[in-house]
Amino acid sequence: MYSNKLPEITKRSEEGPYMKEKDFDMALARKVSQLVEKYGLEFQPEVLVPADDDMADRLYQASLELLVDQGVYNMSTQRVIHFTRREVEEAVATAPRKLTLGAGKDAVVMEHRSVESTKPCVVHSGPTGTPCSETYYPLITASCAQEPLVDCLGAGSVSTYMGDKIIPGTPLEILGVQKDAVTLREAARKAGRPGMHINDVASPLTCAGKISAINKELGLRSTDGLLVSQMVEFKTDYDQLSRVAYMQSAGMHIVDLMTPLVGGLGGSAEGTAIVTVASHLCGILIYNPSYHIYGHMHLLESTDTDRMGLWIYSIGGQALARNTPVVSITAIYTQAGLGTPEVLWEVAAASIASTVSGLHQGGIGATGGSREDHTSGLENRFNAQVSHATLGMDRKEANDLVLSCVERYEASHQDPPPGKSFPELYDLDVVEPNQEWMDIYLEVCEELEDLGLPLR
Amino acid sequence: MNAEYSSLETAIREGNVDRGASEAVALVERGYRPIQIFSECIEPLLKDIGEKFSRLDIFLPEMVNSAQVVKAIQQTVKPYMGQGEELSTKGKIVIATVSGDQHDIGKNIVKAMLDVNGYEVKDLGVDVDAADIVQDAKDFGADIIALSALMLPSLPSVRDVIEYTKAVEGESTYKIMVGGGPVSPEWAEEAGADGYGDDAMEAVHVADQFLQ
Repeated sequence: MYSNKLPEITKRSEEGPYMKEKDFDMALARKVSQLVEKYGLEFQPEVLVPADDDMADRLYQASLELLVDQGVYNMSTQRVIHFTRREVEEAVATAPRKLTLGAGKDAVVMEHRSVESTKPCVVHSGPTGTPCSETYYPLITASCAQEPLVDCLGAGSVSTYMGDKIIPGTPLEILGVQKDAVTLREAARKAGRPGMHINDVASPLTCAGKISAINKELGLRSTDGLLVSQMVEFKTDYDQLSRVAYMQSAGMHIVDLMTPLVGGLGGSAEGTAIVTVASHLCGILIYNPSYHIYGHMHLLESTDTDRMGLWIYSIGGQALARNTPVVSITAIYTQAGLGTPEVLWEVAAASIASTVSGLHQGGIGATGGSREDHTSGLENRFNAQVSHATLGMDRKEANDLVLSCVERYEASHQDPPPGKSFPELYDLDVVEPNQEWMDIYLEVCEELEDLGLPLR
Repeated sequence: MNAEYSSLETAIREGNVDRGASEAVALVERGYRPIQIFSECIEPLLKDIGEKFSRLDIFLPEMVNSAQVVKAIQQTVKPYMGQGEELSTKGKIVIATVSGDQHDIGKNIVKAMLDVNGYEVKDLGVDVDAADIVQDAKDFGADIIALSALMLPSLPSVRDVIEYTKAVEGESTYKIMVGGGPVSPEWAEEAGADGYGDDAMEAVHVADQFLQ
């Protein structure tokens, strides 16, 4: 296929075989189950960071077979877009390996990482789609942008404009998105980092809303990114594809977001790992992204820090690192609320597992990204520290450390501590964590150092 | 459970439609009445499957497959039912993801859970507007309208459906339950919903309470 794949994707969306969505879903579930067995994939709850290169490679082959067999479902036409194995392999081979994010002195280079790499992770921050109030959004984003170890700024979801609920598809959506984009740019400017890469505006639902964030002076620029979503699992629609059409012509970074669900159509941890790796390949073909967000999630708890979620980060990251040039970042969603030791232990476990497995670091979503204003700069600083301290670590050592972290929060997963919101944890005048939040952070840092991870 | 039900139970747990239907017919031919098979075997089994899923001891495809076997059994045993006999359903529900929101997985989980817990559920799909939801609820003879939203900006669409339904059909024609990532119990109450489910199992409990 040519570099601009959209004409061909559209053609196949109009001419591919019709299929009921439910039939597509169940065909995927059946195929995944067969592939888990065929490729001998096995999740072991005590080996969350497997050092098994062959299993990582088998996982990649299973993922490739899944995408070629299953195709991608266009919900707008109810047709399946199929790709040949050769088309998939060619697209993967030519996917970006190295990117420059942001502009000028604030630009960072994010490139493909290998397993157990000493190459530092690029660190993106929250709010990672977490709901944010209009009042605190400027302070929350400032708290992230000012963190020296944070390289790129993420976005939260703000549901009001000047106090009124934003209704998608109305002028309020456009106005709200423009305000969000200004807020993010201003946060970067205030931090003395005007060229910092902003990876999304998370409030809009429509294509028009998303695109309205783009404004060279006041909003997002071609050195920034916007997320384009794959719907669960292997699904797209013309609204998402239209975003790609605009963004690639504007020269923006397209960010491929996927949310494979553990326990969902992929079934087990092994099946969801196949779906997650295959979703990266799918993203390359349909969205032509600069980079990906490795966003698998527990079906019932909206987190990825349980044992299955951590294993999927690790084995899937390794499969991509060993078999593709792609660049992918985490999206760590914790069960615990902000301002608790548990939230930091969850971050540490995911950060270690993903760093040694070839991924870069995305933002943190406390409480599964569900509670308003449960997001701040400090947990992103912590994530960066843990990730940098993990560089070059071998997988066996990483596994031991991850298990030690898991022991410290696993029991709370059924009844997670609710934590506190940003205004309860930050001094709002100076936008610094208050003593309570700092004490918890320092306590966990110290304990991690005692476990052998040199954070300072 | 009666040992004679073990083959049927296995077929349902394994999601084997053909075997499930044939095992049910075999039981009928051995003198079991369809209603008896459902009350003694299938209903408790589905409850167990629902509970297993709520702990993620089994996964969504298994639950959906089990529900499909049961649907096939319902059709297969119909000719064997006596006059006036009917397999009981707890009630009828239409379920949809609201206008502007393309996410279907949460809705699908709730639908599967309602299916295995004895409800007759019609899935209207995603991105469905208020007028279509109400029309489908009327056509289906629904007792309950269940609404799902994943995205924060979808909440006004949920409120639209609630307000439209109550304006067009009156306050009490349908019970309306809502759920999804951005929905909270406080928001649901303030928006005028009759019930809120934090997850699929809670959705079943809410529906049960509605139709007590």
